Amino acid sequence: MAETSDPDDLKARVEQIGRDAGAERVACCIFDYHTRGWWDYQGDDWFHAASTIKVPILVGVFGAIHRGQLARESRVHVRNRFLSVANGEPFRVEAARDANAVVPQHLGRTLKVDELCFHMIVTSSNLATNLLVDLVGLDDLRASVKELEIDGVELARGVEDNDAYDRGISNRVTARGMVKTLRHIEEGTAFSVEASARMLEIMHEQEFRSGIPAGVPDGAKVANKTGEISTVAHDAAIVYLPGRKPYAITVLTEWKPGASGRHDTIARISRAVYNHLTAAGKKNA
Amino acid sequence: MPDATVLRMVDGTTLGAEYRAVLRPGELMRDRSRRFRRLPRFFYEIPSWDVALDTQLAPHFQLWEFINVDVRETELLRASWPRYIPCAVSLLAAYLELFRQEVGTYVHVAANGGYRSPAHRFSGHASPHLWGTAANIYRIGDDWLDDDRTITRYGKIAEKVLPGIRALPWGHGVGETDDQLHLDLGYTVVVPSDAPGEEDAGPVPGHDSDVNETAEVGAQ
Repeated sequence: MAETSDPDDLKARVEQIGRDAGAERVACCIFDYHTRGWWDYQGDDWFHAASTIKVPILVGVFGAIHRGQLARESRVHVRNRFLSVANGEPFRVEAARDANAVVPQHLGRTLKVDELCFHMIVTSSNLATNLLVDLVGLDDLRASVKELEIDGVELARGVEDNDAYDRGISNRVTARGMVKTLRHIEEGTAFSVEASARMLEIMHEQEFRSGIPAGVPDGAKVANKTGEISTVAHDAAIVYLPGRKPYAITVLTEWKPGASGRHDTIARISRAVYNHLTAAGKKNA
Repeated sequence: MPDATVLRMVDGTTLGAEYRAVLRPGELMRDRSRRFRRLPRFFYEIPSWDVALDTQLAPHFQLWEFINVDVRETELLRASWPRYIPCAVSLLAAYLELFRQEVGTYVHVAANGGYRSPAHRFSGHASPHLWGTAANIYRIGDDWLDDDRTITRYGKIAEKVLPGIRALPWGHGVGETDDQLHLDLGYTVVVPSDAPGEEDAGPVPGHDSDVNETAEVGAQ
């Protein structure tokens, strides 16, 4: 695989940003469509996925749609009751931890699969996520990810399954695995051109923009998905800049609980990547 | 608004093969305790969603509330028309109306919480939902039925005012409920007096006297 120019400079810069911010670990991976080049820093290191796992789940749901198991218009009963993968005990998603208000407002009623996908990504609704995981099933979601030959993504459960978390059962990703997932969406190979286009459209509606989008100029369009728990903060995105082809990027960071400056660190790494790629473009021009 | 009398009643055994395959009229199905239960045979035919919206089964309960299912229901009974619902749903609606009078406010039936066909993904065993005689209620007025206190309180009200009703107790195990109030009338079958007559299905094992009686009636 070809690499973008001056990889060591970017590596040093990413390391420096992580060190200055006090991050425990940092990883970054890029695929640049302009040069067809890969670059990564600790790109194969595993991290707790937090809500970035919702992108592979989105892909898995569209895989189920592609197989005819359901349709985007299929209606789903909104019910806040799930079973832990660890012990089968019921649990609920805490409303206070969910930024989304729309899905809980439909408790007892139904929402469409497409609407749940939208809320799962755009406002990171945990309730929507677990409803989709429950509907499609982990085995089928994993089968979709496997069908696309995406490694670097381990889908083990839905979200807020605390019994599973306590037993060490968590979703994990690598930065490279997330970029591979993004590439399928961008390239129209996530089952079909239409499915990929819809997934991309949803990601473009993202409301959480303080990570990768904050590190690129205002003229850029960014389709992204963040992920955050007490010990990690991530962002995975496809960045579209005027006058050049896009790039797919994932930044994964790990922190001591309570650490500050997490979003800013991702934005600074995003800015470093942007500067690196656009400088390389000017150099190659 | 029209009531259930505008709906055509059908003998499920006379429906087309694809409907019989999912409704399984008159067939035996095992309940959770492995006991056989005989599925309902007579259904109301619902020609469209508009009719379901317009049909008042009871003053405060419309037909659509009992056929509001999600993707887990078989496609034939959620994506096309006509649809069918056991006639006993009118009895359930009457019971719920009494319940509503007692609580004095809106009673909301959950999606998948009314009639579910034997082909519904949740129909692993014979549950009263397959008879159209069970309702899962997720909200009463401003009360969300998702805790011990609320579920127990409304369950007791239901048992007090509705003879023969079963309200599942709060809990996380089998036969318990923790995020809705389940009320049911058991495996009740309603055969409206003007329903199509049943044809002699032949001897019923262990009930020879019934066979003779049926033959006499048929000769009249």
